[in-house]
Amino acid sequence: MLVDYLERGVLAGAIAGIAYGLYVMLVANPLVGYMEALAEGAGGAESGHEHAHAAEHAHTAGEHAHAAGEHAHAVGETTTAVVSIGSGVFWGILLGTAFALAFYFLEPALPGRGSVKGYVLAGAGFLAVSGAPWLVLPPTTPGAEQAYTPTIRIAIYGGLMLAGALIAATAIYGYRRGSTRSRPLGLCLAALPIVALAAVTTLTAPTIVESGAIPGELVTAFRGLTALSQAALWVLVAGCFDRLQTRARAHSSTERRVDLTTSSRS
Amino acid sequence: METTETVHDRIGTARNDHTTAQLALVFALVATLAFTLLFVQEPLVHDSLHNFRHAVGVTCH
Repeated sequence: MLVDYLERGVLAGAIAGIAYGLYVMLVANPLVGYMEALAEGAGGAESGHEHAHAAEHAHTAGEHAHAAGEHAHAVGETTTAVVSIGSGVFWGILLGTAFALAFYFLEPALPGRGSVKGYVLAGAGFLAVSGAPWLVLPPTTPGAEQAYTPTIRIAIYGGLMLAGALIAATAIYGYRRGSTRSRPLGLCLAALPIVALAAVTTLTAPTIVESGAIPGELVTAFRGLTALSQAALWVLVAGCFDRLQTRARAHSSTERRVDLTTSSRS
Repeated sequence: METTETVHDRIGTARNDHTTAQLALVFALVATLAFTLLFVQEPLVHDSLHNFRHAVGVTCH
């Protein structure tokens, strides 16, 4: 049974991943490239930290000398583009597999009927993987300056993923407890921990990401696009999974009926 | 019936149907994929995944 779930999860993830790969190819790649050029242009004019950042990049990549103010990469633009598209597909497969795994174990505990369960889990997944961490570490635009070292930031991100998962679990628990009395009460109880998390992080968390030379509107648009595309990916994973699940169930029930009729005839 | 099933039952079913090694393999596979996509700092891999990480919103450089 677990294998069936995983199979559907990988397939649903692959479908969603192909869609996401297309998004990376058609939207994200050109946009990141454009914003990178923009950040470099402004950084060159200011001749400030951007240069040091590029130098650091070249250093870690084991590359020597780079043109003044140019963002040096260890690999070419084409490779980056192709690999980014491919990893978009893998990202979908990863989320699909993780979704199926979690869905298999948590399905009985999720609220809602039928396909609603899947979407609830997808929402929880979005909150844990992206939503909660973004409250402290918003999607970084190219050329952004960030505080702390990557190791510390990875730890913060991981901690927030855990917090997001806990908040999602609390919200679902709240809904289940509250909805036994009334649905609106359940929804209010479910919203409570999420709102609390958002309030606490906006009030207390330090600003880690400094978007630098990129215009504020572009940063907002980029973050909105990132958030929406991730949310869409989760919805697509849950939607495809649900369709595959329904189809498999219908298939197996007709098979059983055929079996029954043939065995009763013989 | 599904409605009377609990999370505990699901864990039980999984443990009955599969060996611990099989289950560990599944979790390891998911962890490996996540690690490769997000946290590998090896320059060639890390840099070629650059646009992707920006698009997903988890960049750490």
